Amino acid sequence: MRWFRADLHIHSALSPCGSLEMSPRRIVEEARRAGLDLIAVCDHNAGENGKYVRKVAQGFPEVLMGMEIQTAEEVEILALFAEEKACLSLQEEFYALLPQIRNDPELFGDQLVVDAEDEVVRELEKLLLVPVPLSLAEAVERVWAREGLVIPAHVDRVPGGVLGVLGLLPPGEWPAVEISPWMEEGEAVRRWPELGGRRVFRGSDAHYPWEVGRAWTDLYLRTPSFTDLLWAVQGKAGRLVRPSAPWKEAS
Amino acid sequence: MKLGAVAHTLRLEFLVDAAPDTEVRDGYVSDLLSDVLAHAEPGDLWLTHQRHLNVVAVGKLREVAGIVFVRGLRPNPEVIQKAREEGVNLLVSQDDAFHTAGKLHRLLFP
Repeated sequence: MRWFRADLHIHSALSPCGSLEMSPRRIVEEARRAGLDLIAVCDHNAGENGKYVRKVAQGFPEVLMGMEIQTAEEVEILALFAEEKACLSLQEEFYALLPQIRNDPELFGDQLVVDAEDEVVRELEKLLLVPVPLSLAEAVERVWAREGLVIPAHVDRVPGGVLGVLGLLPPGEWPAVEISPWMEEGEAVRRWPELGGRRVFRGSDAHYPWEVGRAWTDLYLRTPSFTDLLWAVQGKAGRLVRPSAPWKEAS
Repeated sequence: MKLGAVAHTLRLEFLVDAAPDTEVRDGYVSDLLSDVLAHAEPGDLWLTHQRHLNVVAVGKLREVAGIVFVRGLRPNPEVIQKAREEGVNLLVSQDDAFHTAGKLHRLLFP
């Protein structure tokens, strides 16, 4: 086993707030530049670009399917999947549930599905930057039903972090959490003692190419795969999780 | 002013009337529970859209006089059950947050 570098929170051009430069090819290029072994593309309530990123990457880096789900409480969680079908069917379910609010690209940005050749496949019309009308518990259930892994995103942050929004970690199973790129791990645990004993991840939350890998998580695994990641989250079979040092904005 | 009297005047519906004699000293409006934990004061009547189960724990920790869900929002039965167990007053206002807060302010600080 050895240490692998993972960034499991990267946005693409499918997120309205994600840069148009975040095409599958560019994301893979940047991930290689940053020395990442494992990535996940997690767009807001959507995961479709992940399959094209996978196609471009060809295992270098390994790419998990994923999305950043916003729940009715306005809490955000990362949902990660081994299988494309699991992620894409959940996107479809969520899209049907989203309110009929048309995205205004001028206001929020484009929501583009972009293929492995940098061609626009289609545009999602409903605004993705709103909560799915499901509670946190219901959203987690739907991810688990598809054998997905849930990691609450940037828990310390307002808006969107479970601790920022809900004050306390709600009842449930939370073996792993993600902290913001700039948050000191020790400071987070001091402020929220309930984080102690959980696996702490850090993701870049990249919306622009240069942000990919600005913060990451080192994982001690046999292979950079979904199963190994799951074991790391469960603290099984000697797999380990270690967040990178916090990212500091260049002054 | 007692919570029961406030509820009557503002036409708030009790979902859990654990202690209607609680004194309402002031009010607080927020949907961010971390903000309520940091800034709400004991005796505040807390107005919110947030219906997650954690509102009960946060309300109890801050010793608020009660939690009012605005705009007719109703929490699920689990939240009501928890509030009953913890002795936290839960109410519903048909008015939105702005109008509920306005009426409460006029009542408490005429």
